[in-house]
Amino acid sequence: MPYNVAVCIKPVPDPKYYDRITIDPQRKTIVRSGIPTMINPVDKNAVEAAMQLRERFGGYVAAISMAPPDAREILREVLAMGADAAYLLSDRAFGGADTLATSYTLYKGLKKIELERGLPFDFVFCGCESADGATAQVSSQLGEWLAFPHLWNVFSIESVSPDSSGGRESFKLRTKIENGFMEWVGRTPLVLGVSREMNKPRFTSVMGIMKAKNKPLTVWGLADFAEDDGHGMDSGLIGLSGSPTQPGEIFTPDLKRSGETLTGTPEEIVERIFAVMRSNGVSLVFEP
Amino acid sequence: MKIWVHSDVSDGRITDVTFELLSKARDLADDLGGADMEATLIGSGVASEAGRLAEYGAGTVYLADAPSLALYSPLSHVPLLVGAVELWRPDIYLFAATSIGSALGPAVAARLRTGMAAHCVDLRINDRKGLSALVPSFGGRVIGEILCPNSTPQMASVKPGIFVKKPQASSEFRIVKLDIPEDASDERRLVPIGIERRHPKGRPLSEADVVICGGFGVGNKENWLLLEELAERLGGAAACTRPAVDEGWCEENRMVGTSGQSIRPKVYLGFGVSGATHHVCGMNEACVVISINRDEGAPIFEVSDFRVVADLNRILPLLMDAVRPSVRR
Amino acid sequence: MHFFEFSEEQKMLRKAIREFVESEVAPLASEWDEKDVCPGDVFKKLGELGVNGIFVPERYGGAGLGHVERAICLEEISRHSAGLGMTIMTHHLGIYPILQYGSDEQKDNYLPYLCSGAKICGLAVTEPGGGSDFSGQKTLAEKADTGWIVNGRKCFITNSHNADVTVFTAKTGEDEKGRNKLSAFIVERGAKGFEPGRKEHKLGLRASVTGDLVFADAKLSDAALLGKEGGGSRIGMEGISEIGRGGMSAIAVGILRGCLEEAIKFANERIVYGKPIAKLQAIQFEIAKIRTSYEAARLLTYYAASLKDAALPCANEVATAKLYSTEASVEAAKRTMDLMGGYGVINEYAVGRFLRDALTSIPSGGTSHIHQIVIAGGTLKDFQA
Repeated sequence: MPYNVAVCIKPVPDPKYYDRITIDPQRKTIVRSGIPTMINPVDKNAVEAAMQLRERFGGYVAAISMAPPDAREILREVLAMGADAAYLLSDRAFGGADTLATSYTLYKGLKKIELERGLPFDFVFCGCESADGATAQVSSQLGEWLAFPHLWNVFSIESVSPDSSGGRESFKLRTKIENGFMEWVGRTPLVLGVSREMNKPRFTSVMGIMKAKNKPLTVWGLADFAEDDGHGMDSGLIGLSGSPTQPGEIFTPDLKRSGETLTGTPEEIVERIFAVMRSNGVSLVFEP
Repeated sequence: MKIWVHSDVSDGRITDVTFELLSKARDLADDLGGADMEATLIGSGVASEAGRLAEYGAGTVYLADAPSLALYSPLSHVPLLVGAVELWRPDIYLFAATSIGSALGPAVAARLRTGMAAHCVDLRINDRKGLSALVPSFGGRVIGEILCPNSTPQMASVKPGIFVKKPQASSEFRIVKLDIPEDASDERRLVPIGIERRHPKGRPLSEADVVICGGFGVGNKENWLLLEELAERLGGAAACTRPAVDEGWCEENRMVGTSGQSIRPKVYLGFGVSGATHHVCGMNEACVVISINRDEGAPIFEVSDFRVVADLNRILPLLMDAVRPSVRR
Repeated sequence: MHFFEFSEEQKMLRKAIREFVESEVAPLASEWDEKDVCPGDVFKKLGELGVNGIFVPERYGGAGLGHVERAICLEEISRHSAGLGMTIMTHHLGIYPILQYGSDEQKDNYLPYLCSGAKICGLAVTEPGGGSDFSGQKTLAEKADTGWIVNGRKCFITNSHNADVTVFTAKTGEDEKGRNKLSAFIVERGAKGFEPGRKEHKLGLRASVTGDLVFADAKLSDAALLGKEGGGSRIGMEGISEIGRGGMSAIAVGILRGCLEEAIKFANERIVYGKPIAKLQAIQFEIAKIRTSYEAARLLTYYAASLKDAALPCANEVATAKLYSTEASVEAAKRTMDLMGGYGVINEYAVGRFLRDALTSIPSGGTSHIHQIVIAGGTLKDFQA
């Protein structure tokens, strides 16, 4: 059977340039000027997972993001990768959201898409964490808002034969754990935080880019979530004011050590390395 | 005031990170001028483990022990912990940022509509008696303070290896059993089937006095295998950076950094490691850092105690000669 | 509006190709160069992305875009592997005459699999007598009872040994003034009497294959004729002067950007006397010159490509772009090498390959001298008092 799939997308500053990020000491803000924005890398694995599911079973894939208006570009890329539609939740009121307020806003967005299409979502895919904040919390929290079972760090999904009751496929899922994996059997709806081992995201094709031009990209602000249709947003749960966590001080850690440069012949250097180990309590009894 | 720690359980045993968290909770309790230290523990046959929590200061353990709880599932674990919090109202609740804690903690926080700081590198009590969590972002380039001033519990997760475990037994100890709901039909929507471990090669990074770390500059798999052998002969462990994993030289479970493990060995010996912030954040607790890199401008040198500006191929063979058993001619 | 601005789709295309190239081309480019191999698997993947048939209409399996988009693809590929760029550029050069002059049957027959990445195309014109003496070619196609018998040898042919389909020109007669009448044909790999000969060991552009093609009583059917009998000169010249040179120009722009990026990276990382050499004015002068030539080459190249897309005459503009870009790429590679000091000649750094690729791009599609003759001819006509 075909599945309705949502993929959550986060635009992040390109991780290649994180060593360039500084803090404005006066204003206590993060300076990231000149660093390009890109789709959070592991979100592409989430998109790929959604694509593969659609190729296998048919269905519909919507990309959704809560981000500033210029995230349109990122969503166009997801459309070019193959998503059917994209939704951008963008409003000043959403700004400053922590993971709880973010997952609430995404939840409301997903509910509104369901309402407009008249079809509930079966799967919600997220990247398991973002490159910038790296809290890894949104997928689990979105699962709680939606009241869908949720798994984090999923690296494999395959369908197992439909069970006798409803004709719906069950899915065998695997999540990464320390030194191994855990196996699950689940039925839709599910929220899955996808890891980078899940798949290799496809490259955007030229044809995909051309098709993306004509795919719908909808932008919703707070005003689009009217209270009276039953899907209004509780303004106490969005943005900075709806976030239980609040940011305090920020600083760049000073990890510098005053180092000594070891010079001499390679033999002398190696002798010094062993000496340093010994003087720091490493017993140098070489194991056979 | 009450500080809770949720026990991270692996194969029926409480893992070290739990004791690291309890040890930190002790510091926080002291800074609060005293607080109750308590722990939650879920699993099957884990009651016998509860006493270990007392060795690190837990006075009360809230226990859910049932065969159905042998494996983590959000459908069984989240409601249990949410119910316990609502009954006993801790002020601070700490989770291990392990595979289970990272999935479970935020879900509990969401259901309680409270805040959670993720992957903290330090926890403090501020002058308003609130929890101040220091959280890295942008791969560790920036550390931000996260506060949770208006809701409880104030939640936080911490990766293994960040704090040091210090045994200090609690003066009293009791176990409170949590009610386990009998009807679990809802839980059939997602069922954990089993766990498969791949036994990792070599000593765990967390236990090694010497960590030999290879970066992109290692250049090839052959050199990486030499590093592994060097680590083994020194009785240490081999670690790597993200690029070395991407090159396919080593397993991701050997990776050190913000998205890998945090280590605090006596000696860190890095070969061809450039020193990207996200790696440095995982190794800067090492007592001594020795770096070998042929690029004298490599950022790793700024965070090293001993710098060797040389091609690793000039140093590594000599180290290997020194540690290999001598061959009789 | 800017005088020169890419559309949103063109920017997305560049980004998409760049992502592909950084992941699938950059890590292997030096290995292909060293081993002198053309990566067939990457060629196939580029086909799947739509690059191989970028300017072919969708009804034939192409992407339905144009020559500006083609130049974007070639620049991005050649930023990391000008050799692979050369393979793709020549593939386009073979496809173009089929698209432009082929019968419906030929287009339906060849274009879909040439666009998809399944098969490689080439164009063979040059002969041992010299590529510049276009009309003096000696390969002879004689009419038989049915079809054609071809004898002769083509040389310096890119994709010689790996093309599945080759378009070539041959003499099919003489006109009343005794000048050669050339016709174009399509030949498939494995045709009886047709096989690749010597494979060249090139200085640069080594992720592309160059060599001889030998026709020894090769029998081709009537359906092999491309366009009209006697139409070969036009087919060959149009392909070379617009598609071949336009492509070489884009490849050179890619090499230029490679030089620019490598130079900047090195200048920022190399510490001498306690600071990066990028802080030294002498180094900054070099970087400014490389940047300037990159920008100039880019403008010339994309402007010429946009004329082609607008179906305007562009042979002169393409020649100007090709002459400038390829010469500038040699100079930029040399500058980058100078800037890197001793590291410049170490083969672990890409710049030595860039220099060899740049030098090899000069005779491809016509030497700089031929280009100057073409440009001068056009200029003397355009600026007649």
